[in-house]
Amino acid sequence: MLHRLLFAMVVLATMVLHTGCYRIKKSAGGGQRTQLGERRYAAGDILLPPGYGAQLVASGLNYPTAVSFDAAGNLYCIESGYSYGEDFTTPRLLRLKAGGQTTVIATGDKNGPWTGIDFHEGKFYVAEGGVLEGGRIVEIDPSGTIRPLISNLPSFGDHHTNGPVVRDGQLYFSIGTATNSGVVGADNANYGWLKRKPTFHDIACRDIILSGQNFNTTNVLTEAPADVAITGAFMPYGTGTNKGQVVRGQVPCSGAILRMPLKGGAPQLVAWGLRNPFGLAFAPNGKLYTTENAFDERGSRPVWGAGDVLWEVQQGLWYGWPDFSAGKPIASDEEFNPKKGGQNLRPILQEYPNQPPKPAAIFGVHSSANGFDFSRGTAFGFEGQAFVALFGDMAPEVGKVWSPVGFKVVRVAVATGVIRDFAVNKGKRNGPASWLNNGGLERPVAVKFDPTGTSLYIVDFGKMHTDATGSHPQKASGAIWKIYKK
Amino acid sequence: MSMNSKAASAIVLFLVVLASCAVRKSEPVKGTYFQPKNSTVARGEQLYMIHCQKCHPGGEAGLGPAINANPAPQFLKRFQVRHGLGVMPSFKPEEISRADLHAISKYMKQWKHY
Ligand code: HEC
Repeated sequence: MLHRLLFAMVVLATMVLHTGCYRIKKSAGGGQRTQLGERRYAAGDILLPPGYGAQLVASGLNYPTAVSFDAAGNLYCIESGYSYGEDFTTPRLLRLKAGGQTTVIATGDKNGPWTGIDFHEGKFYVAEGGVLEGGRIVEIDPSGTIRPLISNLPSFGDHHTNGPVVRDGQLYFSIGTATNSGVVGADNANYGWLKRKPTFHDIACRDIILSGQNFNTTNVLTEAPADVAITGAFMPYGTGTNKGQVVRGQVPCSGAILRMPLKGGAPQLVAWGLRNPFGLAFAPNGKLYTTENAFDERGSRPVWGAGDVLWEVQQGLWYGWPDFSAGKPIASDEEFNPKKGGQNLRPILQEYPNQPPKPAAIFGVHSSANGFDFSRGTAFGFEGQAFVALFGDMAPEVGKVWSPVGFKVVRVAVATGVIRDFAVNKGKRNGPASWLNNGGLERPVAVKFDPTGTSLYIVDFGKMHTDATGSHPQKASGAIWKIYKK
Repeated sequence: MSMNSKAASAIVLFLVVLASCAVRKSEPVKGTYFQPKNSTVARGEQLYMIHCQKCHPGGEAGLGPAINANPAPQFLKRFQVRHGLGVMPSFKPEEISRADLHAISKYMKQWKHY
């Protein structure tokens, strides 16, 4: 009897103990726990569902972000040339040969990060993030000649130019937002770009009407400690807004998917109101999907509890940024109000272009759902499902987490929204390999099926430690893994 | 052993079990596939994905704590969902109906024993 009573009390106590822990707990994210230093690689430390195996294809890469295949089925990868933490290296297109050897095909300018690649009719198409010179989409021929298809895209901020994917003579690409939730603030100085581009801000794709909310910060661009900057949404740092103020839309813009004819021509709007639509892929049924990196709890307008999203992209729709998360309004809701500071979120927009649609799937808060691809058939299995690389949290800068989020590859049944883990690290807990003391996945940033749909390639960015001072990526720790059906 | 020390060691044992309990739960970790045993569980999984997965991915810790190893009875977990103890948001019946919450419970139960 006493046992039972005590047992019940302990059960209740552990529930009560946990609930209430969040506020006092220190953030324990995967980046915070990442151990820099020499990286181990061991395919056996990657756990997979029954019937699948893993193999290391290449290692020691500098911030790889994507892979592609030419018409003959040869494997290529791009190295980013830039990482959060303001580390500039050289963007490169590499051919990966059997045995892990690499040949340099092309070398880009100091204008990374190169975020994505597609191959179409003999040429490569690469998205150049453009933190210094503006985003570009470049065409690279097999001899390594680089030709820009479009330049000066507005991606100097937190997020960059992403994509691309070629379909029916059109090239689809995306541009992430400049800021976390519409307002330039001190967090953007921490990211490194605000001091470089002090007048940069988010650009609306269509005309919008502002609610006129302004935010005060100590002016991070001046030395005087008492100097305050008052900033409204879609404005440069230090510029306020009024209720009812109209911001004129223009294309190209922030937080949008665009497309342009492969032969050249003006970009057109496909969808907008997406914070950082990083991954783009067409499903076997021909529908376009994107992964959206959702709000962080940082900056002047921090948002808590926003899960990353897989969206089916519908022509012309607005997807809710900066006032919705995964289709839900964020204003005055305990689910989204920041937990530090106690701010009550209010809408940035006075009217909404449309009601945002329902997501295809919602991933872990701060998991960083990035590059993805669809299984096309029985050669690999899970036909029609999306395989998504979860880069892993960058806590504490993005907000506090209980435990590492992401650092794995998941599969999504897009019709039901059910997410199941596919490739995770061995260990008592989920997280990056260097924390678990093994040689598995560090930060999966993209996945791609080979042209026959038989194997899945995982692009692993490498180690990135994060702490209160920001991101500390480690060069030459990236890898490509291949997952095959046994 | 006295009754009290027996109870005390039971608690210690319980806490040890709780701490080392299989918090991790997924197809690659278990090495078997998860099959919802009926349509309620299948529906519960879909609802879990909409309402809970983002903070408790696969029942493991993420933004919020792990709930896989939590030995609390399902009614207490439903209480947690309705009242959102701590910083967890509460979900009112307009958001998650009684039937839907029971389906989530059924899914969590099968997932926990999978
Ligand atoms: C926005 C994030 C969020 C969402 C969504 C969420 N939770 Fe939670 N949950 C938390 C946090 C954070 C805690 C811990 C509360 C604290 O310490 O203040 C928690 C605690 C719990 C606990 C108690 C755990 C313990 O060991 O004490 C249970 C059970 C739980 N959640 C179940 C659910 C279920 C079921 C759902 C979906 C209906 C859900 N949660 C949705 C964040 C969330």
